[in-house]
Amino acid sequence: MKISIQINASPYQYQAADTAWHFIQAAMAKGHEVYRVFFYHDGIYNAQRDSRPPGDERDIVKRWSGLQREHGVDLVVCVSSAQRRGLLEQSVALKVGGFEQALADGFRIAGLGLLMEAVIESDRHITFSA
Amino acid sequence: MKTLFFIINKSLQGNVCGQEFLDMALMAAAFDQKVVLLFEGEGVNALVKNQCPSGLQLKNIVPVLNALPIYDINDVLVEEESMEMWGLVEDELEISVDALSRKAIKEQLNLADHVFSF
Repeated sequence: MKISIQINASPYQYQAADTAWHFIQAAMAKGHEVYRVFFYHDGIYNAQRDSRPPGDERDIVKRWSGLQREHGVDLVVCVSSAQRRGLLEQSVALKVGGFEQALADGFRIAGLGLLMEAVIESDRHITFSA
Repeated sequence: MKTLFFIINKSLQGNVCGQEFLDMALMAAAFDQKVVLLFEGEGVNALVKNQCPSGLQLKNIVPVLNALPIYDINDVLVEEESMEMWGLVEDELEISVDALSRKAIKEQLNLADHVFSF
């Protein structure tokens, strides 16, 4: 089955990102395809490169980067949600004088169109919220 | 074409999520999907006339509500029980809606390919 995931809540404060990550692991282990993970609302904080949790805690951002690196899962951050919250793509940051390295490895910034494409393409679309 | 249900059960003001959620519904319509908006619970207040969010420097969503037919979003449902709970009647709403019972809405929900909430 082709599955797409949407994450609407910030990491650490809510369990959404953890539950989604475990769900994805289980789905892939069963042979399902994860078509895309789309980060929306405060979910965009999952893509913040400079997140530095204490050493004895799970590193949520690095975990996502690993998912993309090892399994090629498409990690997409909503551009308007991200810009509203100060997470800028490098090219935009260069233009407006913002921080250029905000986005963690493996993520890309794009519009809501990619969310809709994922919804249309997938057999199931599952949202994880606060 | 898929049928996508968007459930608005929280106030659209006081939280940017409401605005971003409406953006999602509009984008779905722009992708030629059948979009159904459902207002229930506290969300019914989003439709009340004469709101003045500019006092809080918030965006007024009324122009978006009025533009829904332009996006081919013609199915706007409101749960009757929620209207009653908040003491609202249809005349007090900004746009024309289909007020349905919880039971009737549940039947419609079963026809949806995907259901979104925020």
